[in-house]
Amino acid sequence: MSAVTSGRERAASQPPGGAGGTGDNEPSDARGPLGARFAGRGRRAGLVAAGAAVAVTLALPPMLTASQLSVYILLALSAMVTVGLSLLMGYAGQVSIGQASFYAIGAYAAGLLSVHGTPPLLALAAAPLIAALFAAAIGGPLLRLRGHHLAFATIALQLILISLLGEADWAGGSVGLQGIPRLSAGGTELGEDIHYAYLAWAAVAVTVLVARNVVTSRAGRGLRALATSETAASASGVPVARYKLAVFTLAAAFAGLAGGIYAFFIGYINPGSFPVLLSIQFLVMAVVGGLGTIWGALLGATAITLIVQFLNDLGSRPGMPASAPSILNYAVYAALLILVVLFLPRGIVPALRDAWQQRRIAGHAGAGTGTAERAEP
Amino acid sequence: MNASQPPRSDVVDVVEVRDLVVRYGAATALDNVSLRVAPGEMVALVGPNGAGKSTLVNTLTGILTPASGSVEVRARIAQVPEGRQMFGDLTVDDNLRLGAWQLRGRGESRRKQRDTSWVYELLPDLVRVRDRKAGGMSGGQQQMVAVGRALMSRPEVLVIDELSLGLAPLIVADLAEHLTELNREQGTAVVLIEQNARLALDLCSRAYVLEAGRIAAEGDSADLAASPDIARAYLGEAQALPAPPDAQDDPGPHDPGPRDRAMADPAPTPGTAGTARGNQDTAVQAARAATREAK
Amino acid sequence: MSDFLVYLITGLGTGCGIALIGSGLVLIHRVTRVVNFAQGTFAVVGALTAISLLDTGLPHGLSEVLGVAVAAVVGLLVGVIAIGRRGTSPQAALMVTLGLGILAYAVEVMLWGDQGRSSEGLSGAVTVFGARIQTHYLLIIGVTAAVFAALAGLFGRTDAGKALSACSSNPYAARVVGISVTRMGLIAFAIGGALGGLAGVLLAPMNSMAFDSDVALIINGFAAAVVGSMHHIGRTLAGALFLGVAEAMVAGYGSATYQTVVALGLVLALMIGQAARTHSVVAEAG
Repeated sequence: MSAVTSGRERAASQPPGGAGGTGDNEPSDARGPLGARFAGRGRRAGLVAAGAAVAVTLALPPMLTASQLSVYILLALSAMVTVGLSLLMGYAGQVSIGQASFYAIGAYAAGLLSVHGTPPLLALAAAPLIAALFAAAIGGPLLRLRGHHLAFATIALQLILISLLGEADWAGGSVGLQGIPRLSAGGTELGEDIHYAYLAWAAVAVTVLVARNVVTSRAGRGLRALATSETAASASGVPVARYKLAVFTLAAAFAGLAGGIYAFFIGYINPGSFPVLLSIQFLVMAVVGGLGTIWGALLGATAITLIVQFLNDLGSRPGMPASAPSILNYAVYAALLILVVLFLPRGIVPALRDAWQQRRIAGHAGAGTGTAERAEP
Repeated sequence: MNASQPPRSDVVDVVEVRDLVVRYGAATALDNVSLRVAPGEMVALVGPNGAGKSTLVNTLTGILTPASGSVEVRARIAQVPEGRQMFGDLTVDDNLRLGAWQLRGRGESRRKQRDTSWVYELLPDLVRVRDRKAGGMSGGQQQMVAVGRALMSRPEVLVIDELSLGLAPLIVADLAEHLTELNREQGTAVVLIEQNARLALDLCSRAYVLEAGRIAAEGDSADLAASPDIARAYLGEAQALPAPPDAQDDPGPHDPGPRDRAMADPAPTPGTAGTARGNQDTAVQAARAATREAK
Repeated sequence: MSDFLVYLITGLGTGCGIALIGSGLVLIHRVTRVVNFAQGTFAVVGALTAISLLDTGLPHGLSEVLGVAVAAVVGLLVGVIAIGRRGTSPQAALMVTLGLGILAYAVEVMLWGDQGRSSEGLSGAVTVFGARIQTHYLLIIGVTAAVFAALAGLFGRTDAGKALSACSSNPYAARVVGISVTRMGLIAFAIGGALGGLAGVLLAPMNSMAFDSDVALIINGFAAAVVGSMHHIGRTLAGALFLGVAEAMVAGYGSATYQTVVALGLVLALMIGQAARTHSVVAEAG
């Protein structure tokens, strides 16, 4: 049951981060070169890196302690949400500070359905669908908003959702939904945490593959155009509103799926499991890693989860005041967000990519002229 | 029309630019430009688009930093920026008064500094519109407000970037007359940046012809106007291109068309000013770096 | 009837608090084009500082003034970090203020713990038309009226106010006439901090303040600011008063739990309506 507490605490105490630092222009620089790089030899390096990442991911679970394992699972869930958010913010240029809404919707959908007798697997499959349906329904009017208006609207929606869930007796009200069964399929129950670890990471793999396909598809090119300039994209025939809605819906589906798994893994959810701070946490992960990059989302989620975990351990040592873990959490989220937005506005992964690129160019051209001459007129 | 006194050698120049080089990244915007302005003198800076006129102005007013060379401004300088740059939400009177923002007087002297009545005497057309929002006025009126606002800082040198741009010939003639009067009565030196070379040479006693970042010619306006090369290259062009047809300027109140609006407010979309400044700084830094390397 | 009057005054009192926060947001946005997510933080800092000072035995009045002053300083600091670095876009600055709001959580929890605290307001009550109305609400309304009058004077009559407006009207032109846009922005942040702090000290006797009270405050303040299109201080005040009264009525006649939902729903509808109007205008112009 330690998983429950750690999960809950996390959700409740993680400080926010923010994302969106990168304005509209950012996605464009980040993106243009990205596509080109995928085509070239970056592809092979990428495949090798991806292979290594997969191998490590698969090899890890048996080596982890119970509490580490639950962190590992929550990391996977955060990564799924962050991948979607990173697409949404990086490609569609939409700031969402309410992404935990869809996480909550997925969790409640899966929880309610399974509590009322729907086979768990079906309930899990329904989680992303219901979250996506919800996003598609509200996306039309909501995505007319831009910038800080959209940011506030997404927070507002989440607050409304939490408030309504707290009042909804059919959803357990503020007490929450208890007795969510464990996942099972064809008589086999996923009873062990390690099963959930593999399930969650399999879901991450699906998320990443879907996101990759979207990015490299024809629609992905349209999205890149959208990130560069909405007006230009719309002038060249990209159906801007439809694409924005599509990405919004897709991101919601990812979050819904993660929420569904969360509900089955934790077994108990209540409105307090999905605070605004959770949304902000996703935002920080996306921004720190680098908006619009899948690797960035994964790296951001991983880095932040590890840092937070480390600080939690540090803060809960004997002798530390009871509030130490949350103070450390807040401070580190805030510091990361501020520093990244101010000094690495495109995020870590694009910055590393640039540095790498530069070194290669420098190696070929002989001198480190690359950066100096990039000044814009 | 050349009302200003000829430059006298015993007078210290109010503006002196020597061997100025300005770069944007790898591109050299100004290359070895030297220029001087004597007190009370009217000097024209003519040349085609992209010759570096605005770069030179921005260097004079300190917005850009030179890569090498020196810029000395020994008198109070005020700028009438390209595109007029109104504070559109504020009234004409407020716009004028903010022109005196930099003057740090106290008490009675502050009251005098804030007093706009002398500007209205100089530009009587503005009296009727003094309480109207500047954003809703015609281009000609806005240009007058821009001149008046610059005057409010009591400059000894007035730098005017594109006086005639987008304005009807009649309005331009009116503005030119006001400038001459100002120069005569207050002794304010004027640096006039113009694409309309004919106008500039008529108005000013001396002129510099800027071409691709270099001074292509300089001298008395009359001599320059008489030079066949200059006439062919600039005056012919200026004559062939009268004010654009859509710039017909209604002196009365009217809602600015999209063109006027665009001109009244080109650069400063929300946050771009800061960004643009950042970019310029980057450019200047890059330029400096490049200079160091060259040395 | 007397219930109605109580709800009305309560709502106006809350609305005044919202208006102070909203006007801070508008002021900062007007000058810097940054939406300051840390605006609610100023209220929390102001309130908690004043409460602590009261606990040390400082008298009422002085404690509150010092609380507001501390909030103004915090506002200035937020401004320095958010816009002090050249080339920080308003969007990036928004994220920075969000981050600073979270950073404030760490500091606040460290200094004041994570439990809500409230202060004693002006005691006593007056009876108007059979309704017992706490004097404190009247104090809030009076102070807010004075503050808005002062703001109107600042922007309508003083050069400094005009210079602040000039920065948002045309930052480039502001630089041309020698107005330091960054300095004006910092001044706006400081005033915004003071306005937020004032809201905090005034609201603290009615609602207990905890480090995370800022979310509700900023959301309400933003709602009011949206009514004022992030630009008009008078309309922001009207929006805030309406919001405060609407919430009080919903809470009084309906259920307190739905008051946030109603308020937020109103704002969402309003924002989407505004956006739809803007789009159609753009479409016509194009």
